[in-house]
Amino acid sequence: MTTTTITTRSSPRLLSGVDLAGRLDLGRHLAVHGPLPAALRSGTQDVLDLADAVNLRGRGGAGFPFARKARGVRKGRQDSGGAPLVVANGSEGEPASRKDAALLMRAPHLVLDGITLAAVAVGAREGRLVVGDPAARDSALAAVRERGREGRPRVRIRVVGVEDRFVAGESSAVVRASAGKTPIPVFTLTRTAAGGVNGRPTLVSNVETLAQLAVLARVGADEYARVGTADEPGTTLLTLHRGGGAAVVEVPLGTPLSAVLGSASDSRAVLVGGYHGSWLSGRTVTAANLSRSGLEAVGATLGAGLVVPLPASACPLVEAAPVVRMLADESAGQCGPCVHGLRAIATTVQELADGAVAPGGVARLERWAGLVTGRGACAHPDGVVRFVASLLATFPAEVALHQHQGCGRPLQGLLPLRPVTLLEDAA
Amino acid sequence: MTGKRLQVDWTRCDAHGLCAELLPELIELDDWGYPVLADGDVPGRLSEHAEHAVRACPQLALLARTPKA
Repeated sequence: MTTTTITTRSSPRLLSGVDLAGRLDLGRHLAVHGPLPAALRSGTQDVLDLADAVNLRGRGGAGFPFARKARGVRKGRQDSGGAPLVVANGSEGEPASRKDAALLMRAPHLVLDGITLAAVAVGAREGRLVVGDPAARDSALAAVRERGREGRPRVRIRVVGVEDRFVAGESSAVVRASAGKTPIPVFTLTRTAAGGVNGRPTLVSNVETLAQLAVLARVGADEYARVGTADEPGTTLLTLHRGGGAAVVEVPLGTPLSAVLGSASDSRAVLVGGYHGSWLSGRTVTAANLSRSGLEAVGATLGAGLVVPLPASACPLVEAAPVVRMLADESAGQCGPCVHGLRAIATTVQELADGAVAPGGVARLERWAGLVTGRGACAHPDGVVRFVASLLATFPAEVALHQHQGCGRPLQGLLPLRPVTLLEDAA
Repeated sequence: MTGKRLQVDWTRCDAHGLCAELLPELIELDDWGYPVLADGDVPGRLSEHAEHAVRACPQLALLARTPKA
């Protein structure tokens, strides 16, 4: 079984205190972080100004500026007059990623603080915390109970459980889950900010983003920006896989990838971002820094913060093929190009991995990639295509070899297909 | 319908293919029978055909929208 540990490096923030105390209940949370500043809690000081000052961006994958998203909801409220709502996305559909579950299991009150701050910022009295992992859900429920009816203005937070499936993490699926419906993506002409859950102006934000907001509110912009880069201050959570296990780590933005990889920094194949992410190899592994701009420079994205180095004994094509199949199977089955296109792509990638692809197979993959991109209700097909295109572009020698025969390296299953387990006593 | 842009609700489309028959100038079908739309707005000379294609879709999956400024 794959196990997950939680490790803090220099100057932890979101994970402050968890190495000593494990889960921070309300008492420990207040002892480690202190209370929220009253001016931000009441809204007399605008937390969005702080978010702007440190360029706080979403940590769920897309990296959208938090303050801009929240202002969109403020405007949606003015335009529609509907009661706004904050939805914290902790569904974490990426099976190899466990940073959001780890955060909810160890520091759930930071997420609740973040929901409260976001709610005050957009004028909402209600928050929904959407969680996939069962243990993380229990921790979140316990945290809500520990708080009781505290605070003013009061923000009522409800925990909503969703099944652990890939597309359940997509924003419109999370909005549906929050309204008590099946968590699948939907086609909509209305922006979530204007009309999300039951048509209400809705702010959907990843749980790590909200926890970052809770830390920022306490330490202030200057202290927050003491770590990280000038353009991208602060820290980020990563799920780092190595040797069959996984660790959730918090590092300053801009940290060299090689520093995080340690003894695996000579790896010839590193997956970064997630299963909608990109592959790095050789020089790009050495050159990459873990920030949005640092990864953009090598053609990758920080995505959901996944980092998986493969040893030389593993073939990236062989390891990736079952992932592409799983991603095709995880399609919600609503959109034709996603259903048919991903199925065809998955079959051909597996044939390539097996060294049994028909002539023209790689060219067909490239054509199908073009036919799938941008033709679905959500970004799932686009993300899968990015993963496959990066695989083909990063390992041309392997692709050439596999077009004639396999490479002989067996499947090691280093890219998890099912959610990795987070051990309660692992910290 | 001049200046409008075609859009597909992919969760509705069932690959009936009527749109490509009625508006071949702007719509082709992919390997699986789903529409591939030409880039850009619907030109004026095709606006009537486009309107017809939108109305004819049995799934109401083809939309013509005014692009946001």
